[in-house]
Amino acid sequence: MRKRSILLLVGALAIAASLVVGPAATAGTSGASAGTVVFIHDQEPPNLQGPWVGNNLYATSLVLNNIWYGGQIRNDKGDFVLRNFAVKPRVVKQRPLTVQFQYSNNAVWSDGRPVVCQDLRATWQVFINPQNNVVSRTGWEDIQSFTCQGKKGTIVFKTLYADWESLVSGGPYAAHIIAGKNMNEMFLNSVPISSGPWRFSSWQKGVQLTVVKNPRFKVAPPMKLDRVVFRYILDTNARFQALKSGEGQVMEPQPQLQIADFLNDRNFVVDRKIGFAWEHIDIQFGPKGHPALKQPYVRQALITGMNRAQVAATLYKDIAPGLPALQSHMFKPFESTYKPNWQKWRFNQQRVIDILRGKGCTGGPSRPSAGNNDIYSCPGVGKLSFRFVTTTGNQLRALTFEIIQRQLKSVGIELVPRFGTGGTVFGTVLPSGDWDLFMFTWVGSPATPITIKDLYGCGGDQNYMNYCNRKFSNILQKVSVTLSASERAKLLNDAELRYMVNDIPSIPMYARPVFVIRSAKVKGPVVNPTTEGSPWNVNIWTTA
Amino acid sequence: MLQYVVRRLLYSSVVLIAASFLVFVFVAKGAGDPLAPYYLAPNIDKEGLERIAEAKHLNENVFVRYAYWVRDAVTNQFGTTLLTNEPILPDLWRVMKNTLQLVVVAELLAILFAVAIGVYSALRQYSVFDYTATTFSFLGLATPVFWLALMLQVAVVQIYLHTGHRIFPVANLNSVDPGSGLSFVLDRAHHLVLPVLVLMVASIASYSRYMRASMLEVINSDYVRTARAKGLPESKVTMKHAFRNALIPLVTLVALNFGALLGGAIVTETVFSLDGMGLYFVNALNVADPYPVMAWLMITATMIIVFNLIADIAYGFLDPRVRYE
Repeated sequence: MRKRSILLLVGALAIAASLVVGPAATAGTSGASAGTVVFIHDQEPPNLQGPWVGNNLYATSLVLNNIWYGGQIRNDKGDFVLRNFAVKPRVVKQRPLTVQFQYSNNAVWSDGRPVVCQDLRATWQVFINPQNNVVSRTGWEDIQSFTCQGKKGTIVFKTLYADWESLVSGGPYAAHIIAGKNMNEMFLNSVPISSGPWRFSSWQKGVQLTVVKNPRFKVAPPMKLDRVVFRYILDTNARFQALKSGEGQVMEPQPQLQIADFLNDRNFVVDRKIGFAWEHIDIQFGPKGHPALKQPYVRQALITGMNRAQVAATLYKDIAPGLPALQSHMFKPFESTYKPNWQKWRFNQQRVIDILRGKGCTGGPSRPSAGNNDIYSCPGVGKLSFRFVTTTGNQLRALTFEIIQRQLKSVGIELVPRFGTGGTVFGTVLPSGDWDLFMFTWVGSPATPITIKDLYGCGGDQNYMNYCNRKFSNILQKVSVTLSASERAKLLNDAELRYMVNDIPSIPMYARPVFVIRSAKVKGPVVNPTTEGSPWNVNIWTTA
Repeated sequence: MLQYVVRRLLYSSVVLIAASFLVFVFVAKGAGDPLAPYYLAPNIDKEGLERIAEAKHLNENVFVRYAYWVRDAVTNQFGTTLLTNEPILPDLWRVMKNTLQLVVVAELLAILFAVAIGVYSALRQYSVFDYTATTFSFLGLATPVFWLALMLQVAVVQIYLHTGHRIFPVANLNSVDPGSGLSFVLDRAHHLVLPVLVLMVASIASYSRYMRASMLEVINSDYVRTARAKGLPESKVTMKHAFRNALIPLVTLVALNFGALLGGAIVTETVFSLDGMGLYFVNALNVADPYPVMAWLMITATMIIVFNLIADIAYGFLDPRVRYE
């Protein structure tokens, strides 16, 4: 027994010793070595296929955008920036829409072969192949013909496709690599080639993915860094702690209160901008919705009774002070095309009561009162008590609900919470139309206005509100086939102000801010509110 | 004994089947449509989603879906994930290995310390050491795992901010450049220090109480008194006559706990972002993918059953009076 005890003791000491030795042995490698930036991210891509069903994730775009390089990119203002990869594609004919482009002579793959028109043509074939589980075929399926001559190409579309520039400027697959391959299984664990500033190096699943400088990249200044390591830390607190303790240098956090700790820390730089995702409250017009919501005066009472500016200010007072209420469903406040069309509806609680009483509603308070428990009933539509649906587990949404619930109750309108998991509320409740008010986020992009008919047009694919204004819908349809961006913006702003703002099918709340936190030793990373993410300018990143 | 083992395994397989069906129903019904978020994406290819729904039988009733799952689990190594169609088993093996490293080290150290503390506390009942050990045990039992993990992370980061020395990493399984061979092992051990500490605290607190109680019961029993009366040295009485018998309740507890922990120390792995079974389960639940959840369940349930059986068999070795019928 004594021998066994001694053995046990020796074993324990050996384990303890290894734990103690560990720090000394690894201290030199746990941080970033020279020329390396460690990018901490909250989500790991399931694979590297890109825009495939189940993988249409920002985490995947972050890695792939600089591997499948495009001719243009959305910069940190959401505008297209020419990247010298392709000569600026241009429309040579409007009917049928015909587009020409040409890749730069400097555009080469990492194996030395030139990037040619056939690469984009092969990409088109990938996206229209019904066997491939791509997330969207929009635009690709509108291509009539695709002719190539070396680096030059001509694309003829079947219809006027307003967002043609995104297709032609997107990063092509390497035709010589994907030929004859099953694309559903092609890039599950690695990408063997690159046309961008970095190329795939290794992936330790569950821990990190490493990309290294592509030495053959010549169309823009090459990466100054040797490599970027994406470290996947799923826990929010652990991510912030890891950043503080130098285990990573760059992070794109969700809007979380912990960001406030970094705002006054001279070891870190926080960059923040308003993004393309916007929070809003949809109103149900269909047969399963509350009959009162079909009355314009009730919708006017709702929007007038919500202090949207206060909601935005309260939610983001610590991490993005001054965040304005969103006054447009079409554009975001930082876009040059943004017009505050919804400004007309200002918070005025007495006005709500006047509107309701003026329409014969009874039973509510005669003046706004925080302690009010009386709810209005209106002629022919009953009590103004609405089911309010949103997702559980989202602190910002819970707080938003509490604020507007209190504001509306003080003027005699009741909101009854009907919260559920994302899968349930988006999968079952939203499409069913069996709700009154629904708060969620649309994740937009600079191109969203082109297809906004899907959200607000009559019978639109994602018009779960069952809202339909024929005149408005016709204009949205026209927008989707208008090639000029400025003309589209004018049409949308005019139509929103004229029809949507008066119909109030959906209440815009705020556009969510986007953040990048970087160590002060790393220069270069800034917020890019599009899916390009902060690595859009990785070639200028440096580390001390 | 073989007959006993076979009988237990047969009973267990019935439990496994029932558990698998119940969990499948809960996940399939409770989490909603796993394709739902994709229908919200702009310009989504709805035909593609419908193809996936058809291929994975999502439009069938839950009984039919369960039957397809059983087929895949038995003939195709738990099948593939719902959306990305990737094989489940390789990922499960990967995370299981990581969890094993964490749990084995934590449990071995916990048993070592807990047994020593428990035995010494019992032998020195109502001494300063006993009161101190008791106090810390209750503290350990009362401390929530997530809180302790967060506090350790904060402490380590504060030390780093004040001294510039990172004594332990706060997340992940290894460094950016972990090296290979011994260097890799040491780097992994370095990363596991905090999670192991967290797991150890709860285990030591619990095991040491059991060990103390069990040891007290044994050292006051007649046969121990007889051994002393026969003039045996105290060390022999303690280690040979008392200690071995006092281990029996602890064996049950450790075996059950170990089996459950192999399913992943969910909180610890989540807080430290360790790529283990617990985090794998949480991620699978988050994307409402029933297939990895089911695979995880089967592995975890099997582990619990196996370790339960091991505990029962171990009784026979520790206590010759135990008979398997």
